[in-house]
Amino acid sequence: MATRNEVRFILNGEDQAIRDVGASDTLLDFLRIDRRLTGTKEGCAEGDCGACTVLVGRLTPQGLRYDTVNACIRFLASVDGCHVVTIEHLRGPEGGLHPVQEAMVALHGSQCGFCTPGIVMSLYALWMATATPSVTEIERALQGNLCRCTGYEPIVKAAQAASAGKGQSQDPLNLERNTITKRLSDLRDGARVEVAKGEDRAILPADTADLAKVLEENPEGTIVAGATDVGLWVTKFLRPISPAIHIGHLEELHEIAEDDAAITLGAGVTYSEAALTLIMTWPHLLEYWDRIAGWQVRNMGTIGGNIANGSPIGDTPPALIALDATITLRKGGETRELPLERFFIDYGKQDRAEGEFVERIRIPKPAAGQLHAAYKISKRRDEDISSVAAAFRLTVEDGTITEARIAFGGMAATPKRAAKAEAALTGQSFDEATMMKAAATLPEDFAPLSDWRASAEYRMRAAQNLFRRFWYEKGTDEAVRLETA
Amino acid sequence: MSLDLKLDGRSEDRFGTMAQGLLGTPADRPEGVLKVTGAATYAAENLPENCAFGMLVRAPGQGKVTAVNADEVRAMPGVLAVIRDERMIRNAAQGTANEAPVQGVDHAEYVGQPVAVVVAESFEQARHAAQSLKITTEGSPGPVDPDAVEPEGEPTRTGDLDSAMKDAVHALDLTYTTPSHSSTPMEPHAAIAEWDGDRVSVRASLQMLKYNRNELADCLGISAENVRIQSPFVGGGFGSKLGITAEAVSAAIAARELGRPVRVVQHRRQAFETVTRRSETTQRIRLAADAEGRLSGLGHEALVSNLPGETFAEPVTQASAFAYAGAHRVIGERLARLHRPAAGSVRAPGEAVGVTAFECAMDELAVKTGLDPVELRRRNIPDKDPSSGKPFSSHMLAAALDDGAGRFGWSDRAPEPRSRREGEWWIGSGMAAAFRVNIMMEAEARIDLTPDGAVVETDMTDLGTGTYAILTQIAGEALGLPAESVTVRLGDTDFPPGSGSGGSWGSATTGNAVWLAALDLRRQIAARLDCDEAELTLRDGQATCGNVTRALAEVLGGDDLRGHGHITAGDAFEDVVQSTFGAHFAEVAVSDVTGEVRVRRMLGSFAAGRILNEKTARSQCHGGMTWGIGMALTEELTHDRRDGHMVNRDLAEYHVAVNADVPPLEVHFLEELDPWSGPMQSKGLGELGICGAGAAVLNAVYHACGVRIRDMPATPDKVLAGLE
Ligand SMILES: Cc1cc2nc3c(=O)[nH]c(=O)nc-3n(C[C@H](O)[C@H](O)[C@H](O)COP(=O)(O)OP(=O)(O)OC[C@H]3O[C@@H](n4cnc5c(N)ncnc54)[C@H](O)[C@@H]3O)c2cc1C
Ligand code: FES
Ligand code: FES
Repeated sequence: MATRNEVRFILNGEDQAIRDVGASDTLLDFLRIDRRLTGTKEGCAEGDCGACTVLVGRLTPQGLRYDTVNACIRFLASVDGCHVVTIEHLRGPEGGLHPVQEAMVALHGSQCGFCTPGIVMSLYALWMATATPSVTEIERALQGNLCRCTGYEPIVKAAQAASAGKGQSQDPLNLERNTITKRLSDLRDGARVEVAKGEDRAILPADTADLAKVLEENPEGTIVAGATDVGLWVTKFLRPISPAIHIGHLEELHEIAEDDAAITLGAGVTYSEAALTLIMTWPHLLEYWDRIAGWQVRNMGTIGGNIANGSPIGDTPPALIALDATITLRKGGETRELPLERFFIDYGKQDRAEGEFVERIRIPKPAAGQLHAAYKISKRRDEDISSVAAAFRLTVEDGTITEARIAFGGMAATPKRAAKAEAALTGQSFDEATMMKAAATLPEDFAPLSDWRASAEYRMRAAQNLFRRFWYEKGTDEAVRLETA
Repeated sequence: MSLDLKLDGRSEDRFGTMAQGLLGTPADRPEGVLKVTGAATYAAENLPENCAFGMLVRAPGQGKVTAVNADEVRAMPGVLAVIRDERMIRNAAQGTANEAPVQGVDHAEYVGQPVAVVVAESFEQARHAAQSLKITTEGSPGPVDPDAVEPEGEPTRTGDLDSAMKDAVHALDLTYTTPSHSSTPMEPHAAIAEWDGDRVSVRASLQMLKYNRNELADCLGISAENVRIQSPFVGGGFGSKLGITAEAVSAAIAARELGRPVRVVQHRRQAFETVTRRSETTQRIRLAADAEGRLSGLGHEALVSNLPGETFAEPVTQASAFAYAGAHRVIGERLARLHRPAAGSVRAPGEAVGVTAFECAMDELAVKTGLDPVELRRRNIPDKDPSSGKPFSSHMLAAALDDGAGRFGWSDRAPEPRSRREGEWWIGSGMAAAFRVNIMMEAEARIDLTPDGAVVETDMTDLGTGTYAILTQIAGEALGLPAESVTVRLGDTDFPPGSGSGGSWGSATTGNAVWLAALDLRRQIAARLDCDEAELTLRDGQATCGNVTRALAEVLGGDDLRGHGHITAGDAFEDVVQSTFGAHFAEVAVSDVTGEVRVRRMLGSFAAGRILNEKTARSQCHGGMTWGIGMALTEELTHDRRDGHMVNRDLAEYHVAVNADVPPLEVHFLEELDPWSGPMQSKGLGELGICGAGAAVLNAVYHACGVRIRDMPATPDKVLAGLE
């Protein structure tokens, strides 16, 4: 197999070919220090603030797709084959300011201005995607951007004002779409990419089969998917990750397949890529999904990574466990499938052998009588890690619960099913008393910890109360969801 | 050569008679285009040729510091120096310190103190080397718990509060706490230092350059003439950039040692520790009231903390001195010397937490007396300052309360808590008064007038507050020039010393200096026209005196004119008490299932003298109210109980409000001119919006669900625990 020793991509208009790339080099430092493109800011270097938002375009089977990402935790090596667009590339249809920029000036969406380029990029991506965004869509686009000055309202107003202008078809990114597509396909040479700066190595396997090989050759390597965890190991904890083995560019791992029985997601499917399919199939995930991180992180982070990191507070495992998902692990040519909940053995310990990787996730389709819910409780409404995450799937036939799957995050050392509660529900009539009786069993299955996110008592009580919320929502018509209002 | 004014009494309103029509309009920021295109360059961005990269290294514990493997690190690829210099500073200087803060790297007085700077050819190398430098500390940690030490200071006592409490029909004795807060401006602290002979130039992110220059000179042991600091754009400050900061001092030291420019950017996690935090507070509030809710006495005693050697004590009770009537009073702070990271000014030092707790207590008194909370406050508005007996320059609280209550629809509110429920959500509303002292500093500015227009220069900074816009408007208004003909240059110690940005005084103080510089020019123009300055009308580049109108360029006749203004606070700030006032109203929903609180709407009515620019003023209030939401619900720095270190020193875990936390905010300004505040009749506004905002939210939480949170913030666990 051919190997290439340089990273190639397009930065704004220019082709880049860079040999000297280490595993820990970030796109942000490359932009700001090497290329002196200082319009992109650094506010935190860990994906929280969005000051570093840029667009990354990549070829997909559906065509050229641009996503906002946090350049601070995006590794430079991983933009191989992509089009990186920074604030310096923006302009209006007739030159000058872009409509989003004009509106940000006119409506005072910028005070100190430090968050501004990142916010402009998020709103620009929104403007490209949606001609007339609703307030909810604007708020979703802004979830990953912090502003300490404005109180956000002028920014929301600016987004609305910008959308009035239209002009999307005349935008440079749309006008140049075909050319960029052509240039990006020309960059695809099917080679494995291996680059290094000194000892610090990064590898982009050519395809999934090659990934299996690379992992066997480098069992100590760090798999990097969306880098929304691994990026922080470097920028926040200053840990070495070499050799970094990237998988985010592997098209096969981005595949979403659907048959009569199930939906199958490649491990590299990002939260954003999965959203539409999942929500169409399980509408209860709509609100839940939007509360995972912010837009940029959802565009980067993968479901495979969220599972593989083994965190007890990841948001997708409880939802997927309740849906009875299974995962497929692969090592070399060998694969094995296991129920998701069995993957999590203990804190920091998963059922994954060295050199093995998560290849796909399979979720059986909904069946008649199933009632679904997924809840996230966090201290801050958005951009926050769950104190408690919970997912329910109850099958109710003629008023009787015939099957119950309930999973919690944040309540134990791993994402975990509420076995006692499930047993207490199964075979019982679906009513408030049954639900509260099941809630009362939670202390038998869970002994949550206290930390600065929440106390153990709170976690337990809130988790129990969610049984009440479930009853309100599914068994009565009293429920009011402020969130979607 | 300069027009000097010491404010000793009332000033005449000159802007009522100006003709340009620029001041008071909601003008856009002139620097807005630079900001939205990313072209505005902040402290870390103008990299000089051959710049090296420095990274601070923190002490992992308290006590005697040893760098175990400095030689090994020096030998790492790209590493240029490992510097542990006794001139490096322990923490950022306090605002207006004007001298070096505590210095030294041999003894760490708090966990996180910068004790070395590692410099390398590239940023990645510096980061790697800094991580590799092993620092150890030995010795037992100093005290870190405010209750474990004997505090300094005594409150001021007037009358006999104990007896007043005994005699009162309604007496409340309550304790509130607020945690440490972090200012967390979005731009982390950064500096690039470069020497030319004995002179150092530093590009930094600082708020008060004339002080910072002296502070840096004192740190380095050189004269202030040899220091130039530039901060034309500052990515937010909120108090954290008032005094000279650790990265600026170490960049200057390293650049000198290496003979080449050095950039040092604080990692977000470092900035949390090395920059001053807002102290945690424990506030005992006593209220003694008669049957009608009239206060006979009040007590507001606060325990705050700071590191040994720091002069600052969070002035929690600053507004309580004048906010409400009541003859018997105990007011003041005690300061615990602790080895937590240093405390200092954070947006609205004092009032932000003090008014918030006090206004929660007032709400509890309203419940106790059965009075409407708005009415309770109205009844206790003093006619003169209850502490000093001095008159107020103006008093707009009643007007703000009425205006806000009317617009909010306060009269529709059911008095009883837990009156309204929608599904799992309890809905309620609350209010609070807002107070913030008005401060005037000293400032100078100059204006050069040429046929092309005016150039205003001062070392004043713009933190996003709108200084560029407002000074443009003031100069344009006074000189009869459209905004396009006025250029404002800020943030350079080569310019005349302005007030610096802090304490809300920026626009009003430096604005008055710019007005004086313009007045100086107006007099020169009038002299050329042979008329009295008061008769002079300047508009659109034309000068009119009596029935003579001439183009300004013609009046200049080939000369360039320079005006210089200098303002100082005088007796006007001694003889009367000056404050801004406001009223906050909030509606919240509280989940009965999870204890989560959502703010549904919020409204503030504010009075701060003349509003110079409606847009920037509104922006300031929006920002302040948003901070109030954060204070009420999410913001909390947690200190480790054993060694005081900041546990959640990043933006993931220190929760500033995100967009979803902020509902539609309504801001209204009351018309007012305050002649005591200076010729512009305008008072500081940058901080009023935060004062009391959190109390409106917390009082609304109580009204919604009956849970009173006295330990801020009202996180879901505290709220749920109260919901039975
Ligand atoms: C600002 C911010 C907010 C966040 N908010 C949330 C949130 O609200 N909820 C939440 O659940 N998470 C949140 N996260 C965490 C993060 O998004 C997830 O954990 C993410 O899913 C990880 O996916 P990734 O693709 O980015 O993984 P990476 O960071 O690339 O990798 C994570 C780990 O998984 C391993 N790995 C990745 N893919 C595979 C694979 N296919 N096979 C084997 N191992 C693999 C990596 O080696 C690494 O150990 C947040 C992160 C950030 C930065
Ligand atoms: S710098 Fe804050 S998200 Fe990247
Ligand atoms: S404008 Fe200052 S952080 Fe947003």
